[in-house]
Amino acid sequence: MRPQFLAIALLLALLMPAPAQDSETQLKPFGRGSWQELMKAHAGRPTIVHFWGVTCGPCKVELPLLGAFMKDHPGIDIVTISADFVPNLPAATRAMLERSGLSLAENWMFDGFADRLRFEIDPTWQGDIPRTLLITREGKMTTIEGSAEIADLKQWSARQLAARN
Amino acid sequence: MHKQMANISKPLAAATFLLWQGGALAQMQHQHGAEAACNEAALRCATKVTPAFAPDGTLWLAWMAGGRISVASSHDAGKSFAAPVAATPEPLNLDWGPDARPKIAIDRKGGIALTFSIFKDKAFNGQVLTTRSDDGGKSFAAMRPVTASNESQRFEAIGFDKDGELFVAWIDKRNRVPAQQAGRKYEGAALFFASSKDGSASWSDARMAIDNTCECCRIGLAFDPSNRPVIVFRNIFEGGVRDHAVIAFSGPAAAGEPRRVSVDDWQIAACPHHGPSLAISSNGTYHVTWFTNGRARKGLFYAHSRDGGKSFSVPLPLGDAKRGPSRPFVLAGPHGLIVAWKEFDGEKTGVNLMTSADDGQSWTRPRTIAETSDASDHPLLVTDGRRTYLSWMTKADGYRFIPIGDES
Repeated sequence: MRPQFLAIALLLALLMPAPAQDSETQLKPFGRGSWQELMKAHAGRPTIVHFWGVTCGPCKVELPLLGAFMKDHPGIDIVTISADFVPNLPAATRAMLERSGLSLAENWMFDGFADRLRFEIDPTWQGDIPRTLLITREGKMTTIEGSAEIADLKQWSARQLAARN
Repeated sequence: MHKQMANISKPLAAATFLLWQGGALAQMQHQHGAEAACNEAALRCATKVTPAFAPDGTLWLAWMAGGRISVASSHDAGKSFAAPVAATPEPLNLDWGPDARPKIAIDRKGGIALTFSIFKDKAFNGQVLTTRSDDGGKSFAAMRPVTASNESQRFEAIGFDKDGELFVAWIDKRNRVPAQQAGRKYEGAALFFASSKDGSASWSDARMAIDNTCECCRIGLAFDPSNRPVIVFRNIFEGGVRDHAVIAFSGPAAAGEPRRVSVDDWQIAACPHHGPSLAISSNGTYHVTWFTNGRARKGLFYAHSRDGGKSFSVPLPLGDAKRGPSRPFVLAGPHGLIVAWKEFDGEKTGVNLMTSADDGQSWTRPRTIAETSDASDHPLLVTDGRRTYLSWMTKADGYRFIPIGDES
């Protein structure tokens, strides 16, 4: 095989999309009832739920900051939900989560009729992203529209972790 | 990146491009598979459908399905359609953002101008492409970019003025990199415009109307009685407030000052994906509908301006706030104004509609004229000068083209 074609073959092999199961980032399909399931699973634990999407410019800036925050705050549950208006692109979603240090977060992706999924979470939410929910142990929820200030997340987390002691 | 590419042999570069396109198309098909009823180029598989009447009364549809833009015409107001024609022969990674859609406009001679945007790379940078048919929609010219700039462009709006000149405005990110290189923070994107005297075969140089506007919302376009284009868009005001503004163009090459529609005070560093709509009635009144989630007001609103945008009426709320009213569209029809929008009750999406016979002073009570139980496109209104119709693509129930007043 000529070196040039060998190089092409190698490049093709390298660029082929990896099978989903080989990716370390698990993406759960977020469908009807997933929100209730998620709330139940995190009940009693301080949780940050972050909604984002691959085509959202401000999300690209915020996501790595959230990744760094997660590393520094193991006592806070971090959940991300890819919530673009149309069903998202799994490969692009995984890649962005991995680049942002969020592979090990609990990651979901909208799967189905987005209007209905949003309605289950908050009927008044029209789908603007990014959007972050801060949920206390007691279930009290605070919504941050748009990019969150990481300093605010740190303050909130400090209060949550202090309340445990 | 460019330096690296220069060192790769042509076959290698071609293989890489083909592979990337393949991956993008595979992803796109997955996406369409969930959002659309099917993956073919047929109308029933479309996610976005845009209608336009030709001056001779022919209804034209342009739609996005199976990675292609297709068009078809109807001589009986949407009851039946001629065989569709693919305006884009090869599947493309079309911009599937919620506010993106193909645009179609027909001139007095029956020439068809078509524009749409694609995602041209993995970072979802867009490109606005245009094409044209001079043989009544039987064939379309090769696609060409609306501008020579290689930076991201999206959300174009087009329209022919009374003299047959085609106006286009779009969202353009060409100022981002120079600003960042100069160490300045850059918010949003610029609003650019151009015009074509030959129905989109060639375009004037792109000019900037305003910098730092919202980068992720559709823009509305209409012509005033003096034949001047007017646009409405989500601007970024001082402090990152994403409220709406109008700009009237004094000619095809001169943008006027932006004028604020409403102080909603929506300070948000996010993509609302929810742009406004504009109509201008025959006496020159501007009519604007929009969505906001500001500190001053939240929801859908309507306002009018009887002084060319210098001042606007107090915003009128639309719809049931508990049902997330969305996607408002306003049209100045032959029998008055019509506003349509969507509401969702947890199970069904309905298109609600209200009308005004006194140029926006008073409105009828809203009524629901169509419903569906799954994903749907934005509701659009279109008129042939005699009647007004709702155009609405739904996943579960297919394409709906409903004469207003006959919906029962």
